[in-house]
Amino acid sequence: MRIETLDHASRSDRLHARWMGLVAVLTLLVPVLLVGELLADGLPALTTDFLLSAPADAGRSGGIGSVLVSTLWVLAVCLGVVLPLGLGCALFLVEHVRAGSRLERGLQLALDILGGVPSIVFGLFGNRFFAVELGLGFSILSGGLTLACMVLPLFIRAAEQSLRQCPVGYRQAAAALALSRWGFVRRILLPTAAPGIALGVVLASGRALAETAVLLFTAGYVTRWPESWFNSGRTLAVHIYDLAMNVSGGGTNAAATALVLLVLAIGIQVLAAIVGRISKGASQ
Amino acid sequence: MLLRGICDGLKRAPRLAGAIAMAALILSGCSRDAGDRLVITGSSTIAPLVTVIAQAFESAHPGVKIDVQAGGSSRGIADVRQGLAELGMVSRALKPEEGDLAAATIAQDGIAMIVHRDNPVGALTGGQIVAIYTGKVRNWQEVGGPDAPITVVNKAEGRSTLELFLSHFKLDTPAIRADVVIGDNQQGIKTVAGNPQAIGYVSVGTAEFEARRGTPIRLLPLDGVEASTAHVARGDFPLSRPLNLVHRGEPGRVAREFLAFAASPEVHDLVTGQYFVPLAGR
Repeated sequence: MRIETLDHASRSDRLHARWMGLVAVLTLLVPVLLVGELLADGLPALTTDFLLSAPADAGRSGGIGSVLVSTLWVLAVCLGVVLPLGLGCALFLVEHVRAGSRLERGLQLALDILGGVPSIVFGLFGNRFFAVELGLGFSILSGGLTLACMVLPLFIRAAEQSLRQCPVGYRQAAAALALSRWGFVRRILLPTAAPGIALGVVLASGRALAETAVLLFTAGYVTRWPESWFNSGRTLAVHIYDLAMNVSGGGTNAAATALVLLVLAIGIQVLAAIVGRISKGASQ
Repeated sequence: MLLRGICDGLKRAPRLAGAIAMAALILSGCSRDAGDRLVITGSSTIAPLVTVIAQAFESAHPGVKIDVQAGGSSRGIADVRQGLAELGMVSRALKPEEGDLAAATIAQDGIAMIVHRDNPVGALTGGQIVAIYTGKVRNWQEVGGPDAPITVVNKAEGRSTLELFLSHFKLDTPAIRADVVIGDNQQGIKTVAGNPQAIGYVSVGTAEFEARRGTPIRLLPLDGVEASTAHVARGDFPLSRPLNLVHRGEPGRVAREFLAFAASPEVHDLVTGQYFVPLAGR
């Protein structure tokens, strides 16, 4: 009787394992299909020339060199603002605000609300505030700053989570050694949290790279090589959107551009992982 | 240890201040360049064409920079009125209440009714199209097709294609019973190509190009006139629209030169290259 029950249990376990395996394979199938389709459509168009020249004939011919450069500029402006501001805010939340206090709850609520605002709202805000009120116009700077507003809550959340994971023992040891608060933050807290902060950078840049509506309103639609960050510059996602939606016969180049965007996103992920590992290693 | 921490902090402080000062310097150093700059915003239908014309204009006039921004005809008009842009792209004729603006037509575009290639319905009258779009006819059987429900594809509000469609068939937006609402031409073509029961309307040039390329769509004739760029150019296709550049008051020197260039025969190849119909071909 007991053996039968066991047998039944193990059979149902096996069934379960198979089920979950199937689900896992199906989930894996999605990215494989996605990348496969992009490769089939876009790889023939992907040449060195494509990566180095500016778009011509509304993007049907030519390349994406200028678009790629604009994208990197917008991303640099965005991360340049988000990293110091976000890290500072996360440190403040973790180090100086008492958990459960009114200030803490207020800040968390503000972050949650900001994080839940649809991106198009940030686009309209950025267009109104940065482009019109501050007179930055359609520019890389407007785009980067608007994106920064959008991804800031996301980054603060990720950084905060990883900062909070620092064991209490480290904190106590630092206090026992009479280490200053800033010394503790710089030498122990930040390095141990580095991989998590790096993950925050990946999440933030991933969202920034994916954005189209926001950038159409702020960084703009121009495909010229950017000369300063007051120039308007089209980003990869906007270029893909325009090729797929407004330009007849732009499908191949849209797929090739999407491949580049994918590689860029993966590249940032790898870079962030390496940086996180190095700074963690350096502290040990 | 405490001392060292403070020392470290002090050592960092000037470096931090230095970094901020550097950033400020870079910011102020990158002032806007003084060259001639022309901002054109508006219709996403015209934006690819004007981008191409602008590239040709820039290479003929070194030092001039033309920024083209897409976002819809309504935005083009609003930006010109607010002075954010000197020229606006508007893919329809100006309305009477827009008399403060002047329009220069740079090309023509026609709107074609499209169905899936496998749809046996050969032609629809204006009345049938109105009945389909107002929900009075819901099955292809009623207009000589197979027994299948009709999927009505309509454009999103604010699109000039929608405005032209509505004014031609004397319809109001609330009267339309749409199953799918789309934004751009390509989206319309993809929707109809993927659904044998769908009917939609998109730019003739785009539809002609896609149909020739093998996308499973068919262009329906309208009032007995075949939907083609040739008929739009001849001016006898009823559902066509001008692609305009609008401005307010006297345009500046660069804008004036650009308007002249965009209306000249030099840009014909560029216009046909974007599947629109050039002016002098009429």
